[in-house]
Amino acid sequence: MIEARDISVAIGNKRIVSHVDFAARPGEVTAIVGPNGSGKTTLLKALTGELSYTGTVALNGRDLSAMKPVEAASLRAVLPQSTTLSFPFTVREIVRLGLIGGRSGVLPGEEARLPERALARVDLDGFAARFYQELSGGEQQRVQLARVLCQVWAPVLEGRPRCLFLDEPVSSLDVKHQLIIMNIARDFARRGGGVVAILHDLNLTAMYADRIFVLHGGQLAAAGSPAEVLNDELIEQVFDCRLKVGALPAANMPFVLPQSAA
Amino acid sequence: MAEQSVAGQAGMMATAADGDRSARARLVILLLSVALALSMFLSLASGASDASAVRVIRDWITGAAPADAALAVRDQLIVYDIRMPRVLLGVLIGAALAVSGAVMQGLFRNPLADPGLIGVSAGSSLGAVAIIVLGTTWLAPVTLALGTLALPLAAFFGGLSVTLLLYAIATRQGRTSVATMLLAGLAIAALAMALTGILIFMADDRQLRDLTFWQLGSLAGATWPKIGTVGSVIALALAMMPLLAHGLNALALGEATASHLGIPVQRLKYTAIVGVSAAVGAAVAVSGGIGFIGIVVPHLLRLAIGPDNRYLLPASALLGASLLLLADAVARTIVAPAELPIGIVTAVAGAPFFLWILLRKRGIVDL
Repeated sequence: MIEARDISVAIGNKRIVSHVDFAARPGEVTAIVGPNGSGKTTLLKALTGELSYTGTVALNGRDLSAMKPVEAASLRAVLPQSTTLSFPFTVREIVRLGLIGGRSGVLPGEEARLPERALARVDLDGFAARFYQELSGGEQQRVQLARVLCQVWAPVLEGRPRCLFLDEPVSSLDVKHQLIIMNIARDFARRGGGVVAILHDLNLTAMYADRIFVLHGGQLAAAGSPAEVLNDELIEQVFDCRLKVGALPAANMPFVLPQSAA
Repeated sequence: MAEQSVAGQAGMMATAADGDRSARARLVILLLSVALALSMFLSLASGASDASAVRVIRDWITGAAPADAALAVRDQLIVYDIRMPRVLLGVLIGAALAVSGAVMQGLFRNPLADPGLIGVSAGSSLGAVAIIVLGTTWLAPVTLALGTLALPLAAFFGGLSVTLLLYAIATRQGRTSVATMLLAGLAIAALAMALTGILIFMADDRQLRDLTFWQLGSLAGATWPKIGTVGSVIALALAMMPLLAHGLNALALGEATASHLGIPVQRLKYTAIVGVSAAVGAAVAVSGGIGFIGIVVPHLLRLAIGPDNRYLLPASALLGASLLLLADAVARTIVAPAELPIGIVTAVAGAPFFLWILLRKRGIVDL
């Protein structure tokens, strides 16, 4: 559904992303990982058309740069890293903004209740009347996710898969909500949509991602399934850390960890 | 009826509890419409003369022959040809200034943006003064070609240039720096006022008198032909503004997110800038500098109904119109039979209010 070829992005005179090929398929969670400053967010901003790039990005086979904002908005929703507001909107008013494009995919009669349903999905039941500015960072992040979910509530609309772009969706969340949000992403993919997420937590990445793109210094260092990509050499080379990638034994095999000694 | 209003209140509270303020907003808009109708009628009925608007309207409706024909002709003249254009102009200009303020604030994503504050009005003034002073000499071809439209058009282009310049200066990579915007606005306003000063220096005595009264702001020059030209520009600009409501709401989340939501951001920005410049330019051209309506009205309304532009824009138009009529009533009566420039009234009431906003927001709004 997303095919990007030879993407390069320069900001000022500095080239942030060089010649990256990227693809995300419907039905899958595709993770972008890499150390700070490796160009993850810049790549995502190119894929969503926010930054100008060289190369081609195709969304469901059509060139992204030729699409009007409203067409692109009917095919994908984007969660930025953080959002600040200058006016006192309530949580419900923010979430409702996801419906502006009018392509949520639910019946028109149900749209009025969609903000509440989306808030319930991100575990913010009862937050609708609160003021956005008064919430904690993690709560604000989940409000924005609810807004993004409203925009593409149906993962597939009129036979075409739709996509969520999530820039560090769990970075400011506690562990419970990290799992809730990642389950939403996986569920969206299972129902036929596509998910592209920038993640920092390699364990969550291994748990939830079907495919991983590893960026290093603005270039693609590796791409493939978690089992293919996450290995000791790659972690050391990309993250500059001598770490061991572990794997639990098969489910029926008892094992004992020495750290469990009381 | 009583039961209905109780049910209405219960409904309102229920919707307020789920964070949806649209029912309350609709109620406020209804009340503001009534308030505007009342202030229009009061403005029509009051003034230095004892002419009775009630009698004129009654005679006009019933078609009855007035008791004293001469008096009736005088009253009709006062009500139709003096008060009515003035009331209509007040409504149009109050609405234009308040809506322009709300749109500017949405565009710059800051509650302190105001056409008067950031130099748009100063740019419009420069354009208008240029026509008044140079209209018979250097700019004679322009005034000859455009006739009565020359003044509002010059004010429009003055305001438009300032707004475009400000946006170019204050916006980098889709983010508008409010500090840069306010400071650049001050600098541009100072420059525009200096250029206006040069023009005033060049003006002759007759032009000087015109300029002084015009600059202080007044609705006194209202005539039906002015309503025709200026009114149509303002009406057009106002009619365009509701189309911006969704886009401005989305813009509150930032330009990139607005675009991801499906808003054609560039078109939105240019439409807003052109609309605001047209409305402010036309208002300044006919009534001079009337300040603070654009900042006070949207701010009060955001406290009452929230920042949703679908309701904020029409409510601003209604409240702006009512407040300007009120200010005009004060201006007309407080030193009667003379008349205070209305710009003085709005500044005396608006400036302390503006300070109050700043004090309340201190520490919350990051300049």
